[in-house]
Amino acid sequence: MRLVVPPVINAAGLLPFLAQLGSVATVEAEIILDFSALRRVSPAGLVALAAMVKHWQSQHIHRIRFEGIHQCPILGYLQRMDLLRVCGVSSTEEFERHPSHGRFVPVQQIVDVDSISKGVAACLAPGGDDFEHPASPLYDLAAYVIGELGANVRQHSRGTGYVAAQVNKGEAMVRIAVADNGHGIRQSFVDAGLAWSHGLSDTAAIRKALEPRVSSKGEPVNQGVGLTLVTGLARHTQAWVLIVSGTGIVQMDPDGQVKEQSLPHGCFYHGTLVTLTFLHSKLQDFYTLLDTAKQEAGLLAKRPIRTRFT
Amino acid sequence: MKLELHLAEELGSHLADGAKAVAFRMVRIDPYVGMQADIVLDFTGVRHGNSSFVNGLLTGLLEEHGEALLDRMTFRGCNPVLRVLIEGAIALGIQKYDTRARA
Repeated sequence: MRLVVPPVINAAGLLPFLAQLGSVATVEAEIILDFSALRRVSPAGLVALAAMVKHWQSQHIHRIRFEGIHQCPILGYLQRMDLLRVCGVSSTEEFERHPSHGRFVPVQQIVDVDSISKGVAACLAPGGDDFEHPASPLYDLAAYVIGELGANVRQHSRGTGYVAAQVNKGEAMVRIAVADNGHGIRQSFVDAGLAWSHGLSDTAAIRKALEPRVSSKGEPVNQGVGLTLVTGLARHTQAWVLIVSGTGIVQMDPDGQVKEQSLPHGCFYHGTLVTLTFLHSKLQDFYTLLDTAKQEAGLLAKRPIRTRFT
Repeated sequence: MKLELHLAEELGSHLADGAKAVAFRMVRIDPYVGMQADIVLDFTGVRHGNSSFVNGLLTGLLEEHGEALLDRMTFRGCNPVLRVLIEGAIALGIQKYDTRARA
């Protein structure tokens, strides 16, 4: 099967690309990915592609060929973002690598959640580990989001997860994306034996995962507040959110309006992708943000509790 | 008897992994709860925590032993975000304990 990677994989171009990836049957003997036309791709496109290539490789598809790499106008970007390295494609780099701090987080596999949460935050918001630093709100938000999404990948997905992020200084935006190639949100509920999950669509399963205290893992490991609070934080910072899992698509716009869709018939995204776009100008003190999101989700006590802090 | 645990020294400055928290709790805290020990959880040096981690560390404890356990617990060196996370985890645990008691 030949898959021509489209020229633009961001914003409106992302969902058609995911549908394209989701149309590949795992019985294919060979998959050719043609990169010659690609000239723009978001972190979400990169992690989705990395997760899917690794999934195909794990399914023992005999050959996965990357073609048109040297004709691709953004070859250097793909190399800097480590897409090719993660996918096992070797290529000569005709540039010198510089630290990516404050600019981007290359595609990387989620292995240790604590360290990747710390690493991504430090990379996106240099200096932000100091509470007094102007980058502190972004540091905390990034650490929190990656921590929760990374924990979901490790605990629920039964697959391999990847993260990437980008700071766009011109638009004052930060894009964060996490994708895995596991069994998807709906199947994780089904496998957990949750009776209400039978007959649920992939889109309905995503919506269910956004409700507080819904978890496929069960206690005591998980209390089911991860995605709830991530989307709560996104709502209060007027961020864009996109979640794709199986055939399901749920989007939230900066006004908090939620839109549900499905991938076209015959397309199935094998895993879960979550991507968020934050505006720098909307970020605020993380303590206030988290407290508000927790209050809204009903996750704080309704009466005083004597807790001893020293 | 007093149990004092320095989380940054034992687990690091960024605590996000709920599974790691549950494993830590089972080995390092649970055995001492039954011995009526006073428990000090020292978060000094912990820069960042997540709900998953703090819930994994505390919610199950409170669900099992109820609010009375707080008489023996002290949380030291918490930044404001950690305080919110701890308060949320405790509230969740107590709510579950109360629900179980009523059932």
